[in-house]
Amino acid sequence: MDATAGSSAPLPRARSSEAGVVVRRHSLVTRTTHWVVFIAMIVLTMSGLQIFNAAPYLDASDKSDPARRVLSLDGRTTPAGSVGVTTILGHELTTTHLLGYTDDGQGGETARGFPGWITFPGYQDLAGGRRWHFFFGWVLVLAGAVYLIWGIGRGELSLLILRPSDLPKLWPMQAYYLRLRKEPPDHGKYNPLQKAGYTLVLFVLTPFVIVTGLVLAPGFDAVAQPIVWLLGGRQFARTWHFVAMLAFIGFFFGHVFLVVATGFVNNMRSMILGTYRLGKHEGTGP
Amino acid sequence: MKRKVFVASSIAAALAGCAKITNGLNEWQPAQPILNSAETLNQAIIGTRGTARLYRPGDVTLDYPVNSLDTPHQPEYLSLIESDFTTYRLPVGGLVDHPQTFTLRQLRALATLDQITRHDCVEGWSVVGAWRGLSLGSFLKLVRPKPEARYVVFYSYDHDQSGQQFYGSLNMAQAVHPQTMLALDLNGKPIDAAHGAPVRLRVPTQLGYKSTKWIRNIALVSNFKDIFGGQGGYWEDAGYAWYAGI
Repeated sequence: MDATAGSSAPLPRARSSEAGVVVRRHSLVTRTTHWVVFIAMIVLTMSGLQIFNAAPYLDASDKSDPARRVLSLDGRTTPAGSVGVTTILGHELTTTHLLGYTDDGQGGETARGFPGWITFPGYQDLAGGRRWHFFFGWVLVLAGAVYLIWGIGRGELSLLILRPSDLPKLWPMQAYYLRLRKEPPDHGKYNPLQKAGYTLVLFVLTPFVIVTGLVLAPGFDAVAQPIVWLLGGRQFARTWHFVAMLAFIGFFFGHVFLVVATGFVNNMRSMILGTYRLGKHEGTGP
Repeated sequence: MKRKVFVASSIAAALAGCAKITNGLNEWQPAQPILNSAETLNQAIIGTRGTARLYRPGDVTLDYPVNSLDTPHQPEYLSLIESDFTTYRLPVGGLVDHPQTFTLRQLRALATLDQITRHDCVEGWSVVGAWRGLSLGSFLKLVRPKPEARYVVFYSYDHDQSGQQFYGSLNMAQAVHPQTMLALDLNGKPIDAAHGAPVRLRVPTQLGYKSTKWIRNIALVSNFKDIFGGQGGYWEDAGYAWYAGI
């Protein structure tokens, strides 16, 4: 049975360097879970910022401790009017209209951490934000589980995971992206940098964001005290959870940049319809 | 310049549209039962297991924040403060075989539980306090709950500005958890009025909004459908999840 068989007629599996051959790159499961996770991550990020706004500061400590504050977004009243002040590791920045004193999600401005256009919902509603956050947390976990179980079963993950043999190819691939090298190294379905990126996101960043989120739950802490300790305590975990969110945003922009830069139409087609035209030095194997 | 203004106002309009969409989705009623299914999963999987971490005396936050409705200002509560809580009575009733009313002195005689635990607020902050009080589980044995009692409802002296009384509820598993306590002392002193005097709940395995302050009376019930908003608590009626382990 051809491992790439999809809903329509199976397309040929290309050998490495069969540039120009159209292959079925992404199965229906991969495509569906990709877009479900994409939507989940948007809602999780925006509802997470809504939840953050209820206590718009982060401490590197076990319990709340202003002496160990690493970030705070404050609205302050001055004789000249209201200002937003962002304090990062003790450094104050004026961020009026953007952070601290900003869009209230209802057409006005108020003292709040993140603006209404980036929170879910726009106006301040902690209970609502929590409902969306926890529901889409489950969506992320379940879609991720479907993808992983399917990926192991169909051998997809073995194509994606970074292997020791990929390590020598990492720099040549980066050099190619930086235009220091004319040709990329020969590779399989995913190039060495893609493998490194996806392996990090799937097996480091995603578990990390889930665990740091769970540690904020007192019910979870009661059965996972050592994990809380490892993360530096409950408030520290809240900081880590925030950092993980920033890392996901960084990944998102890098990912989208590369989707655009390496053949936007071809890449989008592969993630929507499944078909993909192989480039030079590109294969379908590991 | 005109172009800049045009670009800026277009961006502003797009951003305002963002909040309109998320606000609309948040108020879209058909989504609510679907979203609430996550609470069922959370409760099934996290539930009431394990025990909250116990801290050392040096970890205590001295300036324990107050984050609730105002200290009750109704005459009923003010007269309690005036009597230094000597007139305080705690009736425990509902689905019990032996309903009783306790004086503060009786409660103090039963207060044998000391714990230094963290209070996690739903807003995201946390604070460590040294609490002394009664294990709720052993306390409930005195009134002998009937088998059909499934929830313990705590009514508070507190009311919001509209006059709605504050209340909260725990299921039996949460109520008999060894760390769930009717607290009388905070950091070595009787709890002050701002922090819930003379008797408040402490549930270190749940978020702070389950820890009802200024307890007026306790009732065991089979369900809370007919109590106020029917969601099992003041904050639950306001949209917060009944299960607050997360």
